Amino acid sequence: MLGVDVLGSLNLVGALIKYLSLSTLFPIAFAIGYSESVWPFVLAGLVGGGFGWTLERLTQGKEQVGIREGFLVVSMTWLLAAGLGALPYMFSGEDQFSSPVNAYFEAMSGFTTTGASVVTDVEALPHSLAMWRQLTQWLGGMGIIVLFLAILPRLRVGGRQLLEHELPGPEFEQLTARIRDTARRLWALYVALTVAEFVTLTLLGWTGVDDEMSPYEALAHALTTMPTGGFSTEARSIEAFGAATQWVIVGFMVAAGMNFALLYRGLVRRQPRALVRDEELRLYVTLLLAGSALLLAELWTEGVIRGEEAVRVGTFQVVSLMTTTGYASADFNLWPVFAAIVLIAVMFFGGSAGSTSGSVKVVRHLLIGRILRRELDQTVHPEIVSRVRLNGVPMEERTLRGISSFVLLYVGVFALGTFALMADGARIDLDLRVVDGLAAAATTIGNVGPALGFAGPMGSFDPFSGASKLVMILLMWLGRLEIIPVAVLFSRHYWRV
Amino acid sequence: MKIFIIGAGQVGSTIVEALHGEHELTVVDVDASRLEALSSRFDIGTVEGDGTSRRMLADAGLAGSDLLIACTSRDEVNIIASIFCRALTPSTRTIVRTGNEEYLDVWRERQLDVDWVVSSEREAALAVSQTIGVPAARQTDVFADGQVQIVEFDVVAPSRKVADKGVSIMKAAEEAATRPKKARFEDVVGRPLREAAIPADSKVASIIRENEIAIPRGEEKIRPGDRIVVIGSPTAARQWSELLTPTRRKVNDVVIFGAGRMGIATARVLLQQGIRVRLIESEAERAKEVAELLPGVRVFHATGVDPEFLERERIGMSDAAVFAMREDAKNYYAATLAKLHGVQSTIAIVHDTVSMEVFERAGVDVAINPRLITAEEIVRFARDPRTKQVTMLEQDRFEILDITVRPESELAGKQFRELPMTGSLIGAVVREGRALFPHGDDVLEAGDRAIIFTPSSRVQEVERTL
Repeated sequence: MLGVDVLGSLNLVGALIKYLSLSTLFPIAFAIGYSESVWPFVLAGLVGGGFGWTLERLTQGKEQVGIREGFLVVSMTWLLAAGLGALPYMFSGEDQFSSPVNAYFEAMSGFTTTGASVVTDVEALPHSLAMWRQLTQWLGGMGIIVLFLAILPRLRVGGRQLLEHELPGPEFEQLTARIRDTARRLWALYVALTVAEFVTLTLLGWTGVDDEMSPYEALAHALTTMPTGGFSTEARSIEAFGAATQWVIVGFMVAAGMNFALLYRGLVRRQPRALVRDEELRLYVTLLLAGSALLLAELWTEGVIRGEEAVRVGTFQVVSLMTTTGYASADFNLWPVFAAIVLIAVMFFGGSAGSTSGSVKVVRHLLIGRILRRELDQTVHPEIVSRVRLNGVPMEERTLRGISSFVLLYVGVFALGTFALMADGARIDLDLRVVDGLAAAATTIGNVGPALGFAGPMGSFDPFSGASKLVMILLMWLGRLEIIPVAVLFSRHYWRV
Repeated sequence: MKIFIIGAGQVGSTIVEALHGEHELTVVDVDASRLEALSSRFDIGTVEGDGTSRRMLADAGLAGSDLLIACTSRDEVNIIASIFCRALTPSTRTIVRTGNEEYLDVWRERQLDVDWVVSSEREAALAVSQTIGVPAARQTDVFADGQVQIVEFDVVAPSRKVADKGVSIMKAAEEAATRPKKARFEDVVGRPLREAAIPADSKVASIIRENEIAIPRGEEKIRPGDRIVVIGSPTAARQWSELLTPTRRKVNDVVIFGAGRMGIATARVLLQQGIRVRLIESEAERAKEVAELLPGVRVFHATGVDPEFLERERIGMSDAAVFAMREDAKNYYAATLAKLHGVQSTIAIVHDTVSMEVFERAGVDVAINPRLITAEEIVRFARDPRTKQVTMLEQDRFEILDITVRPESELAGKQFRELPMTGSLIGAVVREGRALFPHGDDVLEAGDRAIIFTPSSRVQEVERTL
């Protein structure tokens, strides 16, 4: 007997995809404005909307989905959202998306805010298609479910479980009694920060501080900074812009890697103390500073770059990779191996829980450290009873177990992914060093973006085989949903009554 | 005074024993045999009845009494009795005994309309703290987001050793009064205040001594046995606490056996003094709860009578061990075992009056009976000049005022040394959200929030002038 209401889940997934199809209207505006073909988006909207509508029609949905169905709904929604995202690429007839796998890779990389790309010449893309790429990241950043929770009445009940699977981090802080209001506030803050970045960047362009920055560029980059996405409309990523722009983007990347609930309390409710006292935020800032300093020291002593540029470039790369944004302001592919290792290491930190960033998240590192410290304490003092705390609040043992299993799963999946990529690379005689394989797996599971070697910041993931791309699609999907909601689908206990 | 006592248990009986000579007592209890036992020994009135019955209280003549002492072992009975009392006769002072420290906090936040709340747990904890040699503040009031504290201390005479074998705390304190004093202690206690090395940013707001309470002048001295009220910054309050600690040896590792309410209260008080506390609890669930409640304490889930455990955790190397388990016999056994393991100082919290003697005979350094201490404290309050003045001369009570200085006040813009001496004391001033502890040549400004210690009779005058 099946213990999961599959039809009910699909019904909800269908409805969500139907509404998500409306997002194709956004690039249509650009297509009209730049006199480009609107058909890829019209078709994608019709196909996506029609698919969602049919799925909804064929199945029967109840008013709410249960806790069990939540895992299925969230996993399927993200898988199908990437499918919707791939349609415009396929319909565009662009050579760069020659195969459906390429299109799907690009879309999954977009929605999961990874930023890894199979595109080899981004500047050759039509404006509307490039903007669609940026938009997928923006939608995926704060989360599709969170968005619908904020606006769809249907998710009023039972939305909490869905939200928990989608929002990154071990524990979810509710800002208001009603989950819907919380979702609205998070999205409002997200929109506000995006607008703030757009305005700042546009002003830099208008005032002539940065001649490269047009309103189009400003919008494109505002849409991919706040979700820690990393897609750029420039082939040289952020290197194409001036120092002022780079510093502004560093600031917004740091904000994007912060816990939005905390940011809301600090900015909107004016409780700066909440920010200053937060243990995760403190460690987050410390790690950013330490990583930047380490990289700066390496760059300086090796004589790669010096002066203000060294500080800016070092900080930019560490902030970008640790917050899992994935912009580049320099081709770090050309740097010494030690610098590359530092950058791969910070990919495993991630931003804060409740931010838009991917990877492990700072709070988990913090708690794993405390769990290990307690283990050592208990080895020496077997009778000691102690609680692991976060910001003074004792954590539930179950939550702690969840964190340990997550980190274990994360490392395990990363190792398997690396192995698969290396094996497949060897099969087709790909020029893939071990460090490149590690970087490619780390960057996709962590939703970061650039890897090393040919898939470096200024390169492309296109040379990978179709099989490798599928592996990385899987890694991005697992990484965005933090593995467990997807992993339970593969357990027998999930499906049985 | 006419005093009405509810509860004739150990606490009630002790109070009766202490107060029957000087006051007119009426004792209420549900248990007739207890009342009989008391009335056969003392000349008191007794009423058999339930303290939570309003009619009973009215009929028993509560209305004519000056003081109600509700000291049954049940918190709710005591609180309800005091609420009825307040309604029946608002002028009667009320004392409530509680076993729950939370009620104490509620009362401090002025949300419990009772004149005084005494907690056996807290009293026992303070006694332990004093025995170990780190007297804790009796009570702390906080103003201006914690920047200004008003703290009450007992000035205990210094003793050289933690506590001598078989000597009760009272005796230890008396003996210690004649011993040589520690330098820093001596710099303050026993000297005229104007010469004393008082911590910066603080003032002595009042000295309570036997029958008098006063805002001290420069020539006044603090003496051992006084209770003093200090107003100052949190740092200064800590310095006062250190300064009034008479022992030379620094205590920094105390083991508490038993995480019941007594154990927790003791742990709290010691933690506040910056002492490392280890707690041993035999119940797994309770140990978990306590670990959650007190982040600074090392909690062990163990019986405390397992020699292997005591050895492994080096319990013998601790400075003092407190035995706060529920059964006297268990405490006795554990204390003896701990002594064998080398613990220097053992303090037991006992529940039976007889146990006191048994414990001290057997080599436990100090035995503390929470009920006796509570009774002593209640008696002390009943005899406290503040209570007396309150009941006799309503106008002579001291109050703490928190007033903002109006621009048209004639005192605004004046130096503190120029301010008229009216028997009141400006302890601190909060200016632009920051606390200042004024000196003679500082200037009082309009808009300042002044925290003032003043007799009740002058409240209106002070308010008018500022």
